[in-house]
Amino acid sequence: MHALADTAPAHGGRRAGVVAWLLLAPLALWLLLFVVVPMAGLVVYSFCQRDDLGRVVYDFSWENYARVFDPIYLKILGRSIGYAALTTVICIVIGYPVAWYIARQRSPLRERLLLLVMIPFWTSFLIRTYAWIAILKSEGLLNGLLQFSGVVTAPLSLLYTPTAVVIGLVYAYLPFMILPIYGSAEKLDNALVEAAHDLGAGPIRAFSHVIIPLTWPGIAAGIMLVFVPAIGMFAITDLMGGAQVPLIGNVIQNQFFRARNAPFGAALGVVFTLLFILTYALAHRRRRATTA
Amino acid sequence: MIPLPGSRVIILLLAVLGLALAPLRAANKEINLFAWSEYFPQSVLEGFTKETGIRINYETFASGEEMLAKMLAGGTAYDLVQPPDYIAEALIKNRLLVPLDYTKLPGVKNILPEYLNMAHDPEQRYTLPYMVSTVGIVVNTERVKEPITGLVDLFSPRYAGRIVVVDDARELVTAALYVLGYPLNEINTKNLAEARPLLAQWMKRIKLYDSDSPKTALLNGDVDLGYVWGGEAARLWAENPKFAYVIPKEGAHQFVDVMAIPQGAKNVEAAHRFLEYLLRPEVSKAISDEFPYTNPNGAARQLLTPEQRANPASYPPGDRKFGTFRHLGETGAMIDELITDLKNAR
Repeated sequence: MHALADTAPAHGGRRAGVVAWLLLAPLALWLLLFVVVPMAGLVVYSFCQRDDLGRVVYDFSWENYARVFDPIYLKILGRSIGYAALTTVICIVIGYPVAWYIARQRSPLRERLLLLVMIPFWTSFLIRTYAWIAILKSEGLLNGLLQFSGVVTAPLSLLYTPTAVVIGLVYAYLPFMILPIYGSAEKLDNALVEAAHDLGAGPIRAFSHVIIPLTWPGIAAGIMLVFVPAIGMFAITDLMGGAQVPLIGNVIQNQFFRARNAPFGAALGVVFTLLFILTYALAHRRRRATTA
Repeated sequence: MIPLPGSRVIILLLAVLGLALAPLRAANKEINLFAWSEYFPQSVLEGFTKETGIRINYETFASGEEMLAKMLAGGTAYDLVQPPDYIAEALIKNRLLVPLDYTKLPGVKNILPEYLNMAHDPEQRYTLPYMVSTVGIVVNTERVKEPITGLVDLFSPRYAGRIVVVDDARELVTAALYVLGYPLNEINTKNLAEARPLLAQWMKRIKLYDSDSPKTALLNGDVDLGYVWGGEAARLWAENPKFAYVIPKEGAHQFVDVMAIPQGAKNVEAAHRFLEYLLRPEVSKAISDEFPYTNPNGAARQLLTPEQRANPASYPPGDRKFGTFRHLGETGAMIDELITDLKNAR
């Protein structure tokens, strides 16, 4: 941030010209149409009521917000954050070595390995999730392999458990952790690591004092890209978790369709979004405090 | 001055745009159909288009509530919708359906009388029954040797972790009301409070909630028992008769999925033609071939094979009377809250 502001004048003045605004216009329009306007709609809905068919009635009410803070929904939110945090940690543990390894390879191999990370995106997300069902079900591939090799005698119950949900979440979001870390690791100058070694740092110290801080922007971006969407995910809990334990994404989705209570769903959505903004702002302030 | 494109260019552009949009606007050349997923064989839809030249845009939903929410939200002007009976009742009460023109629907004579003038549409002015089904118990008799006759047997502790149920709050609550001996449409604070501890016990034993395709987990061997739609059970039985279907002794209800034309439909004429096509015995039989629910079309039933008619999940033996769901107003939210709370408590 600081670096950008300092170098900006050299590139032709601080004031953004007409051209800059024109270049920004498509993004601004996109944000306005698909973020600001729907968000405003959500806020309006969240103060409304519903009639007995589930249509929104424009009568002001605080009721929906009072209900959001019912222990039922707070508990669900807490659980969703727990699942998302676990997913994020596992993604870092698995993703960091992969990203580091890929970034240290020579050019043709590096691009090929990177391609392997992205190939799963060529198939629809739902199809990949159904593939996991085929692997984990009790007469599925994994149980078949385990029984054939004599590791277990009776099939393990893997599908429709919390473990299956975490497997699904990690699988879905792992590339979003690998790619930004790769971006940071690739830019890292090897000379700095060598310098750390020359100055007497062992591998662990070099890792914790040099490599981690230098790749932190990538890790931080990865955390944002994994943690935030993982909280709101609902398809995986339905398909792989057997819809047994609701996460906040399931509850919000249910309010809009099954329960036909759009105002309450909107209130949940608004609180959820505010929570993200708050977390982001806090994280940002702390980062600025530490760099200043 | 900013150079404006010549007026001839603009006219040309408009003409091209007009040509592109023309097929969309031609009335009665297409039908926007909003129906359950896994309910219309492709051959039936294609057969209609081939015969009449009317294109069908088949958009699907997975629950009656979802259908209602999307229909009320506007967006697409649907020409035909396929609500379950209790949603149809709500739509009729709120004057959201167009009365049917029976002069264009002579095939209605094929419908068996017990499926006409039902509680959701007593005068049969707005809806035609499409398929009917009970909700009951499926047992994998290779894995479960004890006899299962009712809901209390199904949800007993010995089957914990081996049960799939439809992911539908109202179905679960209804099952509990049957066991407690209350009428299925009496949803009130007192009855729900009594149902709560029972449901809390049951839900600890449920492995999986799935409304879309509860048969999959049974076929895969992940669960051995289920509380599912009769049509799903019928497909299981047809696949392997080890899957027995049991109408719970405590009580069972049936649902009727109906076809109706919503207010705002643009192609009412074409919608009637499609309805009349669906009433044909051979078309209705083709639907039963792929989706073996209870067919309310008597003439179509005559065309079914003896095996199809012997399917206990499609045509439960005996002549038990089944209840039907009625439209719930505000109390519907109580059901949803109760089930969310209980799912959350485990």
